[in-house]
Amino acid sequence: MLGLAKGLSYTLKNLTRKKVTYDYPNEPLPLPDRFRGIQKFYPEKCIVCNQCANICPTDCIQLTGKKHPDPAKKGKIIDAYDINFEICILCDLCTEVCPTEAIIMTNNFELAEYSRDELFKNLEWLDENDENIRKVNKA
Amino acid sequence: MLRTEEMLLNVGPQHPSTHGVFRLVLKIDGEVIKEAKPVIGYLHRGTEKLAENLQYTQIIPYTDRMDYLAAMTNNYILVHAVETMMDIKIPDRAEYLRIITMELGRIASHLVWWGTYLLDIGATSPFLYAFREREMIINMLNEISGGRLTFNYMRVGGVKWDAPEGWIDKVKEFVPYMREQLKGYHQLVTGNEIFMNRVKGVGKYTKEDALNYSLSGANLRCTGVKWDLRKDEPYSIYDRFDFDVAVQDGGDAWARYHVRMKEIEESLKILEQAVEQFPSEGDILAKVPKIIKAPKGEAFVRIESPRGEIGCYIASDGKKEPYRLKFRRPSFYNLQILPKLLEGENIANLIAILGAIDIVLGEVDG
Repeated sequence: MLGLAKGLSYTLKNLTRKKVTYDYPNEPLPLPDRFRGIQKFYPEKCIVCNQCANICPTDCIQLTGKKHPDPAKKGKIIDAYDINFEICILCDLCTEVCPTEAIIMTNNFELAEYSRDELFKNLEWLDENDENIRKVNKA
Repeated sequence: MLRTEEMLLNVGPQHPSTHGVFRLVLKIDGEVIKEAKPVIGYLHRGTEKLAENLQYTQIIPYTDRMDYLAAMTNNYILVHAVETMMDIKIPDRAEYLRIITMELGRIASHLVWWGTYLLDIGATSPFLYAFREREMIINMLNEISGGRLTFNYMRVGGVKWDAPEGWIDKVKEFVPYMREQLKGYHQLVTGNEIFMNRVKGVGKYTKEDALNYSLSGANLRCTGVKWDLRKDEPYSIYDRFDFDVAVQDGGDAWARYHVRMKEIEESLKILEQAVEQFPSEGDILAKVPKIIKAPKGEAFVRIESPRGEIGCYIASDGKKEPYRLKFRRPSFYNLQILPKLLEGENIANLIAILGAIDIVLGEVDG
């Protein structure tokens, strides 16, 4: 019986402790800067080097480029950029290899949708996803 | 004389004290289990086969998903294997960051076990206390790696991120706090008479059984075998720390409980020393080529994960993908003894025995 009484005293001691839960979803969760959430994409920074699509372990990034509209300039600009969030595991490798930081993680993680099709995010959607962007992208 | 018939009872596939999906087919005679047949594979994703088409860096996020309660050690085993093949020297600062994150992961993993095991055998409140402290660890690891469970933190040659400002101090403050909480845990549970009656002598096996079944980790050390790879085959910089190997005689669930609780204490000791010795500056990544190619040949390395010995075998033909990758996943080996332990046991002891083995189905199924 002594053991039970000891246990109870621990429980009683904890009654007065501050609570540790958050009122999510009424209040946003505090997340660190490095948190890996849904990517933000900057079309103007992208140089269509394909490194993100190549490093992606689940092959969820599809992109195509087109010739620069200004004939004086070399290189390509981005035409279409899709991420399939059905299979994206938010591993952060795409942002790690990007030489121009055109793709960056944000702190947004709410990806629930009513249909699977809506998990295909295109260039416009990823461009507009511009809240809570990670401040320091590389170590 | 009343005649009874044997009955087949299906348990699962779901979450009976496991972290993942597990199924058991039991042949029972009344309340006594005559035969138990584990059915695994519900979480099989073919990590090893997938890895054959992936570059070494791309495999790291996959290892996170094997033992997702202690993903840091899984990250480490892969990069450690590749580094062994390539013969890379890791900068000191990176080694310390690895040790600190791995030991934090070990504590978090044991806390999950402690909480859920007691939950399974009927005590609800320990779970809440364990997860309160685990959440602090997860938050620290989230801060350094950007993920709560799937860290993807280690890289071949070092780690991805340096510690953010004030992070080391947070770990430093956490050590005495956790020690204090651990005392509370013992006060709450260890002396509890109901708990003692529930686990003492349950799921008992001998030292010979443990060795024959190739058990490792707490499941081996609970029979009195002093075998811990951190001590016996020091990898990384474990030889720089002073700590004991948690051993207990008995071989029952009660002994396993004590080994794991002691291991939390030992991990705290390592953390304390690692934080003390933490170099104030230095690189976090060694000089490695941009595309990692392990030289032709093979390598096998093993380390001590919270669940036992995790090993990684790589056969490489010199390309940027491995020719063959094999993980020795401790949960899978530890689970093998379950049918033997369950034979002749009362069905009420099923969960107490299964839970004490501490398996993660992501790791069992691979």
